[in-house]
Amino acid sequence: MSVDTTNLLEIPDDGDVTASLAVHGWGDGLPMVAPTPERVAEMLSGCGGADPDEVVAVLPPRFGEASRQTIAVSAVMAGCRPEHLPVVVSAVRALARPELNLRGVNATTHCVAPLLVVHGEVARTAGYNGGLGAFGPGNRANAATGRAVRLVLLHVAGATPGDGDASTQGGPAKYGYCVAENLDASPWAGYAPSVGVDAPSAVTVHCGEAPHNVHDMESDHPARILDKVASAMTTTAQNNACISQGEYLVALCPEHAATCARAGWSRRDVSSYLFQQARLPAGELTRAFDLRAWAPWMEHLDDDAPTPMTSHPGNIRILVVGGAGKHSSVVPSWGMTRSVTLPVEP
Amino acid sequence: MYVHRPDGPTCAPPAGLAPSPPVLAGRRIGILDNRKPNADVLLNRLADRLARRTGAVVTLVEVKNAAVPCEDQVLGRLAEEVELVLTGTAD
Repeated sequence: MSVDTTNLLEIPDDGDVTASLAVHGWGDGLPMVAPTPERVAEMLSGCGGADPDEVVAVLPPRFGEASRQTIAVSAVMAGCRPEHLPVVVSAVRALARPELNLRGVNATTHCVAPLLVVHGEVARTAGYNGGLGAFGPGNRANAATGRAVRLVLLHVAGATPGDGDASTQGGPAKYGYCVAENLDASPWAGYAPSVGVDAPSAVTVHCGEAPHNVHDMESDHPARILDKVASAMTTTAQNNACISQGEYLVALCPEHAATCARAGWSRRDVSSYLFQQARLPAGELTRAFDLRAWAPWMEHLDDDAPTPMTSHPGNIRILVVGGAGKHSSVVPSWGMTRSVTLPVEP
Repeated sequence: MYVHRPDGPTCAPPAGLAPSPPVLAGRRIGILDNRKPNADVLLNRLADRLARRTGAVVTLVEVKNAAVPCEDQVLGRLAEEVELVLTGTAD
C-alpha cells in the first residue's frame, strides 16, 4: 500500500510506541496501538462511506476539530474495532452539544468524566456489555470505546491534566467509562426512546462521578430499595448537593428493577419517588455550603424544610445495567451539565 | 514506521481578548465576579488598587456562575459600559 507521508509522523519501527507518542504529549499512560495509516483506514471502514474529513464536533478548550479521521486515530490507539467507531463518533458529537457544557466539564476541579451508555442493536452487534460486571474490566468494546473517547478529549479537546483539565484528584473514570443498557433484563422499554430518541442504536453521554454503590439484598418492595438510592443521592459530598438542579443517572440492577416493576412501578414512578425522597433539610445544606447555585426560592426555605436534591423528577434518569445480584448505582452528574442521547450514526 | 497525529487541527476560538487600552486614566473598569471562593474579595481589592494607581474608575460589578458560560446580556452590559474587565479566579 502506497501512502502519502506528508502529514504523518515517523517513529522508530522497533521502539516503544507508547513512549514515542508520549513525547508529543499524547496518550493516557497505558500502552497504545500505533495509529498507522493502514490501521486508521481499516478503522474508518466502520463508518462505511462517510466522509473521513468531515468535522463532526469542535471540542474546547483547545477548539480541536474532531473529524472522523481524527477520531479514528484515537480509536486505533485505544484498541477499538471498526464496529465501535460509530459509537465513538456519536459520543463525540454528543460532547459538543451546548447543554452538556464540555468547557465546564473539562475546566472544573471536580472529578467528572463522561459516562457512555450504549443502547439498542449496536450493543449486541458490537459486543458491548450491559450485564454482569458492566462497569468493570473484561470487555473490549466497553473498555476501548470509553478509552477512545478519553483519548479524543486528551488529544483533540486538549483536556490534559493541568492545562485543559483542572481536576484536583482526577479519577479512574477518566481512563474510560462505558457500559451498555441491559435491555434484555429491563422490565421497561428502552431508555433512548424514553428521552425521545427512537433509533435502532443510540448512545447517552452523562458527565458524572464514578458510580456510588447501592446495596439491598433483602427488600421485596420498591420503596425500601429506592430509599437507599435516595440515601446515595443525598450525600453532601457530591457536587449536586450545592447545586440542587443537576441530573442523576440511576443504574438499577435487573433484580432491583424487577422488584419495582412487579409492584407496578414504571420508570417515571421510580423517578418521581426518588424526587420526593432524595431531600435534605434546607438548614443542613446551608450549614454545609456557603456557596450555592440554588434557585432563588430555595434561599427562603425554613431550616427544616425538606429540600430536593434536584429541580425536577425528569433529572433523575433511570435505566438497567448489570447482572445477577442486588447492587445498583447512582452516578451523580457534575451538576452544571445535562446528559445527551443521540442516535448512533457514522 | 509512519503514524497519524491524533490531535488534528484547531479552529479559532469563538472570541478572543480585546487589545488592552494603553492608558487607563479615565477608563471604566468592570468586575465580573464568578462567585468562586473569595473572588469578590480579590477582584474588588484588585480593581480598587488599579483605580487608585491609574485614575480609572470602577463602574460596574456583575456576577456569573463559574461553571457555565456568561449570559449574553451580562456580556452585552459589560461591553457597553466598561473598557476593562477583571475576572477569572479559581478555587
